[in-house]
Amino acid sequence: MNIVVLVKSAVDEAELRADPSGHPVLKGAAMKMSNFDMNGVEEAVKQKEMNGGTVIVLTLGGADSKKAIKEAMAMGGTKAVHILTEPQDAPDSLATAYCLAQAIKRIGEVDLVISSEGASDTYQGEVGAMVAEFLDMPFIAYAKKVEAGRGGVRCEQGLGGALRVLEAKLPAMVSVVSEANVPRYPTLLQVMVAGKKAIEEIPLASFKGPDYPETGTEVLDVSVQSASRKRVLFDGTPEEAAKKLVGALKQEGVL
Amino acid sequence: LKLFGAEHERILGSLYGAEAAEVYGALLRSLSTVLEERVSPLSLALDQGREEIAKPRRVLFEQGACKLTHATEFGGMGLPFGVYALAMELAGTADASTAMSLGIHNTVADAVETFGSPEQKKRLLPALLSGKKLAAFALTEPTSGSDARSMRTTASREGRHFVIEGAKMFITNAGEADVYLVFAATGTGHGAFLVEGTNPGLKVGKALKEKLGMRASRTAEVRLVNCRVSEDSLLGREGAGFEQAKQLLDSSRIVMGMICVGIARAAYAKALAYSKERELFGKKLSDLQLTREKVANAAMETSASRLLCMHAARLKEAGKPYTSEAAQGKVLATESAVRTCDAAVQLLGGYGYTSDDAHRHLRDARLLTIGEGTSEVLRMLIASQELER
Repeated sequence: MNIVVLVKSAVDEAELRADPSGHPVLKGAAMKMSNFDMNGVEEAVKQKEMNGGTVIVLTLGGADSKKAIKEAMAMGGTKAVHILTEPQDAPDSLATAYCLAQAIKRIGEVDLVISSEGASDTYQGEVGAMVAEFLDMPFIAYAKKVEAGRGGVRCEQGLGGALRVLEAKLPAMVSVVSEANVPRYPTLLQVMVAGKKAIEEIPLASFKGPDYPETGTEVLDVSVQSASRKRVLFDGTPEEAAKKLVGALKQEGVL
Repeated sequence: LKLFGAEHERILGSLYGAEAAEVYGALLRSLSTVLEERVSPLSLALDQGREEIAKPRRVLFEQGACKLTHATEFGGMGLPFGVYALAMELAGTADASTAMSLGIHNTVADAVETFGSPEQKKRLLPALLSGKKLAAFALTEPTSGSDARSMRTTASREGRHFVIEGAKMFITNAGEADVYLVFAATGTGHGAFLVEGTNPGLKVGKALKEKLGMRASRTAEVRLVNCRVSEDSLLGREGAGFEQAKQLLDSSRIVMGMICVGIARAAYAKALAYSKERELFGKKLSDLQLTREKVANAAMETSASRLLCMHAARLKEAGKPYTSEAAQGKVLATESAVRTCDAAVQLLGGYGYTSDDAHRHLRDARLLTIGEGTSEVLRMLIASQELER
């Protein structure tokens, strides 16, 4: 089974800092594989282990995406394709999906495309569905269980208290949620081997033809929403302070 | 706390060049993720005796933390010693006891690789590197620590066997280990013997429960009573044991120094975060000059310790003498870690004194100014090397 897994190099939220105006400092920010994509890669590798075949890691992003690609390769990717963007490219979700779909077409025979539910930095959750549309593939979103093989894929979706089971013929595209699996930790040896594997680079510019979608959305602003603490101190005996605390929590509507 | 930080990327870049630094950085970043998610969360419970001590060690074995420097033919990765030293710093930040247990285990793996016969290497190294077997290093005795030459344990030849008699003290991993590297006087000098943990003549005492720190590593006495081992158990040449021990300790001191760099970082990070939140006199604690002095000292001493230990590691990689540099690195790193951890407790104030999660780093660091050569003995060694130049 030939599987393509979509991986995004996302800003490491844990390392993100805001400038004095409340805007995140994105220039030079630490990057890593989007947390949710670790579930996508795990699912792809799991399916490869069960069905045989290959896992192709497909990424669109700048030169700083290499780290995320290598992380995915260490988890079990067979080969990697990197659609390399330049700072002036700035593709939106639609253009990103178009390029990813074109790259999948170039890869050739693909049975299953797997993505995660969204990126851990922007969490727009649009690209997966758009890629499926460009490829004219059936799309199952938010799968919490995936069983692929014998020409089809069967998935379970959690709907609050209900469970929906869906099936599609291959080739198909599936997006998985983080409950789908527990991403493996690659061993240090796997990390080292992955670091030496070649990554096929395709410049984004090579997809810019008459069908390349014009930018439909524009990001106007990204700012940090800060939460301030009230720092209220309650005095008195522990019993008195506890009563005051409960009163204050009720006043806030917490209790 | 992100264990692998910009300071590690920079030091890898400056010591190994950009290309190699990228590969080593990816390895150490991956190790950090595992340490942050699977080891650090256990560390407080390990100190308080509420968690199984083998658990975090298993995590590190699974990741291949003991394979870094060893030969690929035995399952190792053949990487430079400095990469392993940095890995041990990261492990030291996540959990000092686990790092020390692993470091000592790895010293025995080094011993087998460096001095062992082809048969000993084939039999033991794959199991030691994968963690299928755990090792202990048994040099110190109840009446001889840093003065190792005066050890009383003896190994007498009886045909194709040696019979070992004596006692070893403060042995890390004792009671858990499958293999003990036991040093003994043989009459023609000293010998190092690989003794199986199942040998009926090797008896492990109760774990020392009143340790100040490093509580997640098992420390106990090991007694050798009519302990018969085949002559194949002798590591290398009879009579070479003391020189082997010195060589192994040189290397191990770099590791213990780096673990202390890690311990200092753990304590420093907690104090730094607190100082940015704690308000007094209408200011943040971090705004006060005397706080800033502590922060600056901690940053300087931690960086200097890391650099000196890594310098010794690079000399070792190059096959150059590094005894003095390793000793200097260990003394600086361990003593400055004690100072940094103490400053962290001071900055954390009452919370620092009353919380295991704050003062355990100080308790952990304190061991390493004693173990693997006391600061005093190492100063003697450094001075004698200086005076001989």
